[in-house]
Amino acid sequence: MIRYIINRIILAIPILLAVFTVVFLVVRVIPGDPAVAALGDYASKEAVEALRERMGLNAPLPVQYIRFLTDMLRGDLGESLINGKPIAEQVWYVLPFTLQLTFASVVLGTILGVPLGVWTAVKRNSLIDYIGRILSLAGLSIPAFYLAILLIFVFAVKLNWLPAVGGGDLANKPGESLRFLILPTLSLGLIMTASVTRLARSTMLNVLNEDYVRTARAKGLTEWVVLIQHALRSALLPIVSLIGLWTASLIGDSVLTEIVFSRPGLGKMLVGAILQRDYTALQSIMVIYAAFVVVVNLLTDLTYGFLDPRIRHSR
Amino acid sequence: MKRWLLLAVLVSLLAAVGACAGATPETVTVVETVVVTKEVQGETVTVVETVEVVKEVEKEVVVTATPVPMEEPVILRLGQNAADLGSLDPHFATSTQDRSVVDMIFNGLLRYKPGDGAFDKMEPDLAEDFPEMEMVDGKQVWTFKLRQGVKCHPAGKLEAYELTAEDVVYSLEKAANPDRSAYAGEYTGMTFEAVDDYTVKITLEQPLSPVLFYPKVANYSGGFIVCKKAVEALGDDKFKTHPVGTGPFMFESYSPQEKVVLKANPDYFRGKPKLDGVEMRYIPDISSREAGLLAGELDVINGIPDIAWVDRMKNEGNVTVDVFGVGEVATVHFNTSKPPLDNPEVRKALAYALDRDEFLALFGEPIAENVYSPVPAKFLAGGLTKEEVEELGLAYDVDREKAKQMLADAGYPDGFDLEVITSEMTGYRRIYESMQAQLAEIGVNMKVNVVDHSTMHSQIRKDVNPIVVYIAWRPNADVYLTRFFHSDSIVVTGAKPDTNFSHYDKIDDLIEQARGETDAEKQVELWKEAQIKILEDMVAYPLQFQQQVYARANYVDYGHDLVSVFALYPGITEQTTLNK
Repeated sequence: MIRYIINRIILAIPILLAVFTVVFLVVRVIPGDPAVAALGDYASKEAVEALRERMGLNAPLPVQYIRFLTDMLRGDLGESLINGKPIAEQVWYVLPFTLQLTFASVVLGTILGVPLGVWTAVKRNSLIDYIGRILSLAGLSIPAFYLAILLIFVFAVKLNWLPAVGGGDLANKPGESLRFLILPTLSLGLIMTASVTRLARSTMLNVLNEDYVRTARAKGLTEWVVLIQHALRSALLPIVSLIGLWTASLIGDSVLTEIVFSRPGLGKMLVGAILQRDYTALQSIMVIYAAFVVVVNLLTDLTYGFLDPRIRHSR
Repeated sequence: MKRWLLLAVLVSLLAAVGACAGATPETVTVVETVVVTKEVQGETVTVVETVEVVKEVEKEVVVTATPVPMEEPVILRLGQNAADLGSLDPHFATSTQDRSVVDMIFNGLLRYKPGDGAFDKMEPDLAEDFPEMEMVDGKQVWTFKLRQGVKCHPAGKLEAYELTAEDVVYSLEKAANPDRSAYAGEYTGMTFEAVDDYTVKITLEQPLSPVLFYPKVANYSGGFIVCKKAVEALGDDKFKTHPVGTGPFMFESYSPQEKVVLKANPDYFRGKPKLDGVEMRYIPDISSREAGLLAGELDVINGIPDIAWVDRMKNEGNVTVDVFGVGEVATVHFNTSKPPLDNPEVRKALAYALDRDEFLALFGEPIAENVYSPVPAKFLAGGLTKEEVEELGLAYDVDREKAKQMLADAGYPDGFDLEVITSEMTGYRRIYESMQAQLAEIGVNMKVNVVDHSTMHSQIRKDVNPIVVYIAWRPNADVYLTRFFHSDSIVVTGAKPDTNFSHYDKIDDLIEQARGETDAEKQVELWKEAQIKILEDMVAYPLQFQQQVYARANYVDYGHDLVSVFALYPGITEQTTLNK
């Protein structure tokens, strides 16, 4: 098992290195000049030139690349080109908001999605099943940001139950900040629920037709034990990989949700960095996103190994 | 068994990540204030009953000195159209979200009257009065007497201290240094000297009229006065997210991607602000700002320049929409270096093909208004009014038959093709798209490629567009004319490449003559003459100006009428209140 883990981690290194390179190049391919973006169109020419020099943008690309790589390897995210603040400081401030939202959405998607999928599979072709299928189809078709706007309109503007904008004071009043979490979590989590429900239902349907399930029933086990211990156990593998995929993609989806709810977060920071052509911030955020995906995939793989002994012992 | 152990490790790992993530943000919020509290408490021992109240609250009671039982502090929450701040160093503040914050924190030697940026309404700010001017050896010397007892905000360990000539000179020198300011070009040929603690002398190599000189020392861009000791203590970089000035509000904290919190400056020289603080929230999405206002979480929001939106918000009942200047002027620049636009007859034909009213309808009055010269007559001295232009026959009112005829006479009976790029921003895109449709009527096919805003700015400076639409506010006629029409400013090839997109070089002498003219009336005449040349040669077609749109809850009282504000927001001063 330990070797399996180490193998997976070593494999992640070249992926991260490739990501660093692509990120570096992509950021510089976007047209637009960070110095002009930072100083505005009214700034004088001398000031723009001086800023370019200070930003290190006049250095040749390979030099900039080496600087970037060594900084990244040292774990130094650099300073914002725009306001001079260390990127790490900003990231540490906004990251908890994004993690909080992603985590809550995944939890919601899982604890709603899996049981719903199992239930609709068991009650196949009943009214419950039809309603469940229609709802999950609707959930898959609606974009998260649109759902977000609907939720804001109903629960914040009309009913005034929950806040419409902001992320609350996570550091000092974590309890109160949960109120700010509800609507964004619903808008992201419900869509994931829809997807998880569909997959859980279809894999459960397959498994329920297997011989060993019939055998289990024939042994006289209760339906509950058959479902949970025998059927769900082996249906879980594809579901786990879907949850892993969703976790990675929710971090990306949270960009739009963060903008709509105006929650501080990595996504909102990303948009700001793009608009201001803040190369260092942009690079760091994209690297963090990439690292996220790599880590989530790693965790998913490890969960596989945990759930399925065949994977664990294959190497 | 092993498996469970592994799971436990994974779970605790996740929990650890969550936990340290939760704990870190405290490091960001900047804590200060300790010094002020002490000082203020020392002054007023009379109010004894309020001792148990929370610290923040104590200050309010002490300074108002009225024995009102303490309630919630009165905070104005403004939703600004941005994802985050750029820089709160006023000499680097260029965007609306930054200008609006520094406007509350800093003062200039002179200032534009709150709510009305007209030149003749300017007032002394940190200066006691308007400056005295004398000529010494052909150089112009302006002498400012400073107001006494003006206090710089405290910052961290640095206590509040009195602003003197030393700070003013330091600040202006910083504004003139290209490494430390975006506006250095405005201060070339100027030297600054502290004569004594309350007297500042500014010497100009080239004399300027007050219309051109005052804006440089007013509360706009480089004219904002920063506090020397604070800048030196914090360093230039840190100052960008921890501004320290003399204004009615002082910096309290900054939460990245979220907000800047300001609190009232109890020692403000015009009196303690009626508000206890201001929160500038960064909300880039208009539907979110709107929801925030309607849900009562925001008091003021930056709106969008769309009359349909304005009308909808007005119907909300408890919301007021303000449309005010300054108007950012949209001008169509024809690139005279690129055929067939090098032919003046062709340019005139294009001008006759354009219909100002059609462009106006894109945004709707009063958000936009037509203009007839590159300098907007409504806001600045030196602009041409509709009547003046019509009298000269230079209004170029739409006449597409005439336009077609002129094109045919110039050798293009079937029109020609053009290709331009536009920003994705609504203000630009709508204009280009409408222009495309209008030019098609006379057979000119314009292909429009949409790029993002920052890309457009860098591309048009590389001379890619045969026609450039540019929307900008500049503080006076000289800046408009110099940066858009002086040959030095020609893009790519000029001596100081800037924003002369039309490659025009025929009014250099008029611009320079006007700049050096100290007689206000003659100066205005020269500016008008220069713009008449521009219209006669049709290098630029002035289209419209687009005003600022902000919505507020009805209980917000800015404390002044709104005509025009240079900082592009409604203006929040010590007089602003919430009548809840």
